[in-house]
Amino acid sequence: MDTRPTSRGLSPKPCRRLSLLVAASWALALLAGVPSRAAELLPPHEAFALSARAIDPQTLEVRFDIVDGYYLYRDKLKFNAGAPQPVATTAELPPGKVKHDEFFGDMQTYRGQVDIRIPMAAPEGGRQLMLVTESQGCADAGICYPPQRQILSLAVPVAGEAPSSWVVAPVGRPAWLK
Amino acid sequence: MSAYFNSVTLRRWLPRLLLMAAIALAGAVAGRLVGRWIAGPPASPALGGDAVYGVTLPDLAGAPQSLRQWQGKVLVVNFWATWCVPCREEMPALVAEQASLGPKGLQIVGIGIDDAAKMRHFAQSIHLNYPTLDGGYGALELSKTLGNTVMALPFTVVVDRKGKIVLQQLGPITPEHLTAIATQLL
Repeated sequence: MDTRPTSRGLSPKPCRRLSLLVAASWALALLAGVPSRAAELLPPHEAFALSARAIDPQTLEVRFDIVDGYYLYRDKLKFNAGAPQPVATTAELPPGKVKHDEFFGDMQTYRGQVDIRIPMAAPEGGRQLMLVTESQGCADAGICYPPQRQILSLAVPVAGEAPSSWVVAPVGRPAWLK
Repeated sequence: MSAYFNSVTLRRWLPRLLLMAAIALAGAVAGRLVGRWIAGPPASPALGGDAVYGVTLPDLAGAPQSLRQWQGKVLVVNFWATWCVPCREEMPALVAEQASLGPKGLQIVGIGIDDAAKMRHFAQSIHLNYPTLDGGYGALELSKTLGNTVMALPFTVVVDRKGKIVLQQLGPITPEHLTAIATQLL
């Protein structure tokens, strides 16, 4: 069978094929030229974006938005509120997913969005509280961050008032730096 | 197939193939440029070995150790901590590397960012055969000056015999990768 095209120019079919080839070679070349993003890891305050608010006179709420591929250790979370005297709190940590560790035993981890309610022992309505958080996490890429300390300032509503708006935590510091 | 058919096919397709090659090449160049634009300039400037050799830290027994004592060897400095699971997972492979390539001039040195007691306990549990120094929490800053921009662990620096830093790696180093680099440098 004679498969030679009849016309000397590019027939519509090879033309389409050619443009497909052009597109494919461009796409491949672009992929080859872009360095692997996996090597570029986020700083912890971006990997574990933290915000907090005061829901009512006696309850604070903390939210971690954890980027895909990163996780936080539940048992490494610490919360302290005060201004300037400490305020007694008991954080209600939701259960995490168990990750086995040879050295530390079973560790619970959080991924995705985690909301943590922090009831206070007494109503603190009308006060401006400092919430000091400590968190520690890792990336699936095989790295871990040192414990981070972040400080948020929260306006606690009085009874009957709406919850305060979310406050985004600033960049943290390693928790061991005073 | 006839020679006539081959020459016609060649004449028809050669320009197109050349054109495609040219387009692909242009694409590759554009890809590189886009890649560089996304990634920004290289993260760490070239560092002299003194950034490493100038470091003195206590070992796990408390005696000060200068990294300069390993000048002339292929020096692998591994920043780690017991709270870092990937660090602990990669260390048995480092022990194996030290055992096999140590006699040829490889020296691995750990710098721990942790409590000395926890480090001693872990070092014993994996029969650590290379020194690990007590970097204290400040050693994270030291690792940053060596290229660990996000200050996470593990972080490994390889220094050749002449004191040139040839690798700054965030995240575990595979035994194959380390063996390949070390073999090339030893």
